Amino acid sequence: MRRQVPLILCFAFGIVMALTEFSPHRFSQWLNKEVIDWTLVIGPFALVLAIATLIQTHWTRIRRRSEYWQYSFLVFIGMIVMVVIGIPLGQRHPVFVWLFRYVQVPMDATMFSLLAFFIASAAYRAFRARTLEATLLLAAALIVMIGNAPVGDLIWNTIIPFGDNLPSAARQWILDNPNLSARRGIILGISLGVISQSIRIILGIERSYLGGVEGD
Amino acid sequence: MWELIGIWLAALLTLCIFSFLYRDNPFYRFAEHLFVGVSVGYGIVLTVHQGLIPFAWNPLRDAFTQQQWIGLVKIIPICIGALFFARLFPAHGWLIRYPIAILIGVGSGLAIPNVMRADIFEQVLGTLTPFAQIHAGELDPFQIFGAILMLLGVISTLTYFFFSVEHRGVVGGVSKIGIVFLMIGFGSAFGNTVMGRVSLLIQRVDFLLADWLHLI
Repeated sequence: MRRQVPLILCFAFGIVMALTEFSPHRFSQWLNKEVIDWTLVIGPFALVLAIATLIQTHWTRIRRRSEYWQYSFLVFIGMIVMVVIGIPLGQRHPVFVWLFRYVQVPMDATMFSLLAFFIASAAYRAFRARTLEATLLLAAALIVMIGNAPVGDLIWNTIIPFGDNLPSAARQWILDNPNLSARRGIILGISLGVISQSIRIILGIERSYLGGVEGD
Repeated sequence: MWELIGIWLAALLTLCIFSFLYRDNPFYRFAEHLFVGVSVGYGIVLTVHQGLIPFAWNPLRDAFTQQQWIGLVKIIPICIGALFFARLFPAHGWLIRYPIAILIGVGSGLAIPNVMRADIFEQVLGTLTPFAQIHAGELDPFQIFGAILMLLGVISTLTYFFFSVEHRGVVGGVSKIGIVFLMIGFGSAFGNTVMGRVSLLIQRVDFLLADWLHLI
């Protein structure tokens, strides 16, 4: 009951979804869409659990007066303001859009832009052309970076009398050929792994998602 | 008026986050915690408005107000999703396996045909199609070189990840070529990531100098 029923459910839903994807029959298509809709209803409940954990973590920090506990109130304030405005008024309400545009988007973009400094600093310390492989990595990265910036082409065209816009052309060639072939190799490998793992899960060979111990 | 307040708020939050470049400080911690709260709140609102309301609430409402009784079937995924809360009661914690098993079963079942179609067949097709064009005489020598390079890159990258035979002799040589392609691929990915972050940085600085301070 505790392990067998989930295994049967996993098998049944997995087989149904795999088969209905191939069948053009009207009932099959309806079933496929209906089950996907079910997952869109079931999934958010997992989010509720995640939010409960977040609230519990920050509430514990406040209760125990842990280091920087005062900031935990900001987490609650931010979350409550967005929820209180967004859920009853809707995600297209001007107030919610204002909060998204002037609070969330700037902080999101700035957080990610901070990484530019840290990536540059890490690259400066880690990038050394000691071997052929490291040199290739460094050269590819430099060409892609120079080719991505319009100033790369401008400098090249000003200094070198031949090969107009060579940096951006070289970047595009690297992205379309050696980079794409490596990515395709990786994607093919990952895909074969995903398919074999999915078959193992559906057949009940892979059961780690059930957690706990055998006989539980 | 509200736009002006929004620009000032966004600028101050941007500066709070950039202050981390000096070191960890109260302004950064303020923005960081607010960002977590606002992002979680935004996620909740999106989940409710794009998941629960259209796929659970509306069908149930229509069932009772317009006698579309088929909508009552949505009670099943709601009950299954509610089993996630069993996690909060240790004695009944095992019930959480039911919704997890269904979500994993559906995901695995969908993955098999879709990954096969998009990530295996399409990638192999993309690698081999240029050879049909070579046969039809549609490609110039540079494009033919690119097509051969692509095939060599895909095969050698796959060989590098093929661990069922020892990497010696021909296999070892081909896998070394695979490393070359992988390094160029990783270098390109690194270059693109850096330039993506730099673009965000430029956008934030542009916001501060143009929209906020009107200096440019």
